[in-house]
Amino acid sequence: MTEQIVFYLLASVVILAALGVVLLPGLMHSALSLGLCLAGVAGVFALLGSDFVFAAQVLVYVGGIAVLILFVVMLAGNVSDQLARQINQQWLPSLLICVTFVWSFLRITAYFSGITAQSAPKPAVRELAGLLLGDYAVPFELVSVVLLASMTGAVLFGRRKAE
Amino acid sequence: MTLSHYLALSGIIFSIGLFGVLTRRNVIGILMSIELMLNAANINFVAFNRFLYPGQYLGQVTVIFIITLAAAEIVVGLALIMAIYKNLKSVHVENYNILKG
Repeated sequence: MTEQIVFYLLASVVILAALGVVLLPGLMHSALSLGLCLAGVAGVFALLGSDFVFAAQVLVYVGGIAVLILFVVMLAGNVSDQLARQINQQWLPSLLICVTFVWSFLRITAYFSGITAQSAPKPAVRELAGLLLGDYAVPFELVSVVLLASMTGAVLFGRRKAE
Repeated sequence: MTLSHYLALSGIIFSIGLFGVLTRRNVIGILMSIELMLNAANINFVAFNRFLYPGQYLGQVTVIFIITLAAAEIVVGLALIMAIYKNLKSVHVENYNILKG
């Protein structure tokens, strides 16, 4: 019973915040709403019993990406952007596409309706560390190369042109 | 709570993100909507891992990789947006049309 209450509260927070990201006219409000939505998704991870993913989501998304997006929202953009219309002319076909997507997703999820969790979730950090440093050591190191490349690329794109 | 609840939540978030990608004029708004879609995929991975493969952790490993790559993607994307904004003085995507070949 408690799990259902927590799930529906988290789901309503996440969906309302996601709608806020897409529909709010001010980009600053939209970015703050994105932070709320990412925190709600972290709550969903906690409800699913994956502790390390919850921690990583809070650290990387809520603490890193949302703040980064807030900085760029404050740096880029003109004052007149607040008054311009925020969505383009194709909103009606896009709405139809998205309603179709929601309908088909809900149809697909009906196949999984009877499946419940068999056991209580266990702490996963030890097993995750074993997988990341054992079977998946090569992708783990490749991801660090990707991070280095993206950091270099960000510095390269972000620097001021030489006079 | 069954698996289908989590899948439905993830599908709804994905569709909201898709709507944002298709309709937003502001390029930073499009980037935020892409983050929503990535998070919907992450919910799917963790939910399938929890309900269908309880003793294994491959779904969570995949989610950690996705989070890392999303961070890399957003860093490069925001740096590109700042570079484009310095040149064009606009954040609206319909003005990004100088690459006509």
